[in-house]
Amino acid sequence: MPDNLAAHKGPQFTRMLVYGALSLVLYFILYLFEDEILAFTSQGRWFFIAPVILAFVFSFAHGNFTSYFWDTLGIKAKK
Amino acid sequence: MEIASHFIDLNTLDVTYLLVVGFIGGLVSGFIGSGGAFVLTPAMMSMGVPGIIAVASNMCHKFPKALVGAIKRARYGQVDVKLGLVMGVSAEAGVLYGAHIQEGIKRTFGDAGSNLYVSVAFVVVLAIVGSYVLWDAVRMRSGQAGEEKTARLARWVQSVQIPGTMMYFKSLGTRVSVLFTIPLGFATGMLAATIAVGGFIGVPGMHYVLGATSLMSSATELVVAFVMGVGGTMKFAWSGMVDIRLAMIILAGSLFGIQLGAIGTTYVKPHMIKLVMGVIMVMVLLSRAIIIPVYLADLDIIDKLNPHIAGGLKNVSFVVLIGALAVGAAIIFASLWRGIRLHRQELEVSVVQGHAIQADTVGFPTSPQLSPIGRFERFLVATDGSEYSAGAVREALRMAQKCGARVRVISVIAGGDAELYAMGEQLIAQELNKAREHLDAVARQAAASGVACETEVVQAGHIHEEIVSQADHLQADLIIMGRRGQRGLARVMLGDVTARVIGHAHCNVLVVPRVAEISGRHFIVATDGSRFSDTAAATAGNLAKLCHTPTTVVSVHSPSHSEQRRNESQRAVNRIASFLQQQGVVVTGQLLEGRSDEKIVDVAKAQNADLIVVGSHGRTGLERVLLGSVVERILNLTSCAVLVVRSA
Repeated sequence: MPDNLAAHKGPQFTRMLVYGALSLVLYFILYLFEDEILAFTSQGRWFFIAPVILAFVFSFAHGNFTSYFWDTLGIKAKK
Repeated sequence: MEIASHFIDLNTLDVTYLLVVGFIGGLVSGFIGSGGAFVLTPAMMSMGVPGIIAVASNMCHKFPKALVGAIKRARYGQVDVKLGLVMGVSAEAGVLYGAHIQEGIKRTFGDAGSNLYVSVAFVVVLAIVGSYVLWDAVRMRSGQAGEEKTARLARWVQSVQIPGTMMYFKSLGTRVSVLFTIPLGFATGMLAATIAVGGFIGVPGMHYVLGATSLMSSATELVVAFVMGVGGTMKFAWSGMVDIRLAMIILAGSLFGIQLGAIGTTYVKPHMIKLVMGVIMVMVLLSRAIIIPVYLADLDIIDKLNPHIAGGLKNVSFVVLIGALAVGAAIIFASLWRGIRLHRQELEVSVVQGHAIQADTVGFPTSPQLSPIGRFERFLVATDGSEYSAGAVREALRMAQKCGARVRVISVIAGGDAELYAMGEQLIAQELNKAREHLDAVARQAAASGVACETEVVQAGHIHEEIVSQADHLQADLIIMGRRGQRGLARVMLGDVTARVIGHAHCNVLVVPRVAEISGRHFIVATDGSRFSDTAAATAGNLAKLCHTPTTVVSVHSPSHSEQRRNESQRAVNRIASFLQQQGVVVTGQLLEGRSDEKIVDVAKAQNADLIVVGSHGRTGLERVLLGSVVERILNLTSCAVLVVRSA
């Protein structure tokens, strides 16, 4: 699609790559330290904050990535 | 470190399965506000995850997903954050109570009793709400119901005034007693604790009971889901029940889905949201109804079932559950595909022909208050008697003389009762007298100009709410006010009342700075290509025709925008310029690069314009802070009048 090619050149594409890389790093860390992270976040009591913070961090990186992803593909909201 | 025994090992197949189910769940949630969660818990359990861990992990993926969806849909102006938070807090209480009931039933009747309770709750709620939503969607689709209207129940709810409990919600456009929102939120929470999808009550509740549009209801439900999700996650994480791996894997898929679902809502008509919700609800109802005999047999209420039959019923029920989500997703995909294709065709047509604005994209409102067709019959002028309102009064009378409009001038004395009493009776009397004297002077001015005018001094706690409510009552076509005002006795330049009126008003708002004069020298129409701008252009066209005023159409894009975006802006300018030309207006178009507010004000200055016309997205409060408002920045920068045109 020619529209997409144009969009690829823009800063939108760069942002998608940055957030995509950040998201990938986060998921890679989760995969690499699966046991440690799971043990740390499931200790209960005041450690309840750990999964909540992790959820916010992942949603920030991955949420931005997915948003730019659809934008870059040309699937945008009708204004 | 060892993985705790209640967490399972994950393989590639499990991860793929969760990603796919998460994506479809997210797609449905982004579109109808909820509904993706109910299938995730059984999906995880089918992998061997213990029930409580599945529920906790589902909850932990749900709140960030809802947050991302809510932010996305807030950008489209669909979210009522205040209503979402108010409902969310009472929903939290509902969740706790619902969980308490669940525990009680489980203690008394065991797992089978608990399952039967959940299934019966599904069947009863979905049978009543689901069939009504589906019937309403089909009725709207076949054209019997026409445009989406406020339900009779909602009209009654909005008419009930219970002092001390009234709260203004922008999605409803009016004040509603929290005594109605609290039980609705509570029921949403209870259902969420029982069947994991509170939105099956929350969304129809906000739409049919409170009177929000289905688009607003489904978007606001995401805020409710976020509040419930955070609370629920904390509760389960306190006991160490959240499997962060499961939650984050589902989140990975569902964030792709929720973005797509949210985008989808901008391409469809309101009945599609109801249709998807109705279809899913009825299919889920079927799924739960199929399995009820199994639980009845477990409780010895009916004869024992053959193990093959029981297993078969369970499998069929699960397949229908997955099918519900798949059918919902298929309808969303089809609508999205069709919507994007039609939108692209419209854009191409507008470029090739360069003719009038397509009726579909203008979206002429049905409310008599929103009349871009050019009805300027009733004006509401808000004045505080200060020099800052002088321009508004002067221009209101001048315009009324020209259009033959009726004018109602009000002066709102700020401060609730307590504040007024604190001022002392004598001071209150002084303040009221001063306002009356000012209005008498305005009435004399109006009489001298031959303008029909009525005046009133009003006391109210929230000035902006009173102005909007008076405009609603009058069915005003236009609210006219100064850029800044004073509050009570403290003569402080605030301007927040004006901003709030713009955010909440259901009609157009004309903001007139002290020195501004609208003599018809030159008009500026600002467009960002949205339907809001199209409506503004239609209104500007009527005014320009009336005043024989040359007009400049301006669109500003940021240097960071892509080439595609620039082309879209250019097309928007061309489209509006051709439309105005057809109306007989002398028009020029400009596409500029830089900050929208600054560039628009610069053009106004260069053209010696006396009016800037802009469309309003109608954002208020937190959303305005988060998203910013070009309109407000223009108001702060310019010295000419600004007409903020509101779309339906």
